[in-house]
Amino acid sequence: MRGGVRYALAFIGAVAVGHMATILAAPQVIMHIAMSRLSGGGENVNVFRFADRTTAASRQIVRPSPDLAYASCVYDLSAGPILVDVPPSPDKGYVSVSVFAANTDNVAVMDSLRSPEGIRFILQKGHKLVHPGDLPVIYTPTERGIILDRRLAPTQAEFDRADKARRGDRCAPLG
Amino acid sequence: MISVATIGLAVGAASAILPLRHVGMGGEEHMGWSGSRVTGSTEAGPLLRARVALTGLLALNRSQAVYFTRTVDDLGEPLREDCHYRLVGGPLPGKWWSITAYASDDYLPQNQDDALSVDASEVTPDPRGLWQAEVAPSPNPAMPWLSTRHAGNFDLTLRIYNPSRQAQQDFGSIAFPKVERISCGDSR
Repeated sequence: MRGGVRYALAFIGAVAVGHMATILAAPQVIMHIAMSRLSGGGENVNVFRFADRTTAASRQIVRPSPDLAYASCVYDLSAGPILVDVPPSPDKGYVSVSVFAANTDNVAVMDSLRSPEGIRFILQKGHKLVHPGDLPVIYTPTERGIILDRRLAPTQAEFDRADKARRGDRCAPLG
Repeated sequence: MISVATIGLAVGAASAILPLRHVGMGGEEHMGWSGSRVTGSTEAGPLLRARVALTGLLALNRSQAVYFTRTVDDLGEPLREDCHYRLVGGPLPGKWWSITAYASDDYLPQNQDDALSVDASEVTPDPRGLWQAEVAPSPNPAMPWLSTRHAGNFDLTLRIYNPSRQAQQDFGSIAFPKVERISCGDSR
């Protein structure tokens, strides 16, 4: 009888641990998988990659929007800050650039309404380093994460125009 | 004992994942549409972060976009591929909006209809400012079409980009589109 109680308590404890551990670990694990997919297994970091137009076959990220043209940069700040430079779309089309930390937090977002001439900033980890100059500095709590460029492109023609513009995206170490 | 603990851990993990996948973003519900004001933000708690990771990874925070999802029609019945629905809405408080259907695996329906969403540029408001769109497995020539062919049981996601400050702060102020069921199966 006593053994049965012990097993029951161990089971209940394990269920609670498994439940909490899953909730806490899910964001990091899923972001890790996303970063691996978006960087070609880690081969392409600190460089933008350009997704094809979203179709029913798109499977890299859950719930993709079929109305946007995506470009993504998996960043790695272990060697220092990076410079992010995203030119505008033609005709002042909507562009947003968002920075995600490795725990899924959207730590910063900029858009073409506030920066119609293009979005340009330095990305670095923590608040320790200070870079002189006029460029805005975005701080992220994690060394790795994802930068996402979204451009409004609900039709094939608009996608083609947005695609041409996004090819100018840069995400590379400073200096 | 080890096998008991292993099974317990697995059951605990499953008990976390299943509700996360099927409960949605939590937060608030208005007119059948549910959304959270902390989606994508650093204010999100562990549970919402896990939900976002599983069902809406890389979501923007509310200053840039607000997201709402619904799995049922206006009568509270689950949204189904074999039914025809009518979206009826008015102006939405943002620079641009779109409505997309997702299958139960959180990906787009597996069809080649080139009608994966309806958006602000497609609809034609009437003199009262109201617009309509068809959500169905086959088109209605009279209005924009969101194809649900091969969607199975699906949900609808409304994205409002560059939402007004009032919309960001009070989701209840948004006049959400209605989702009226027109017919199901062969009854049309």
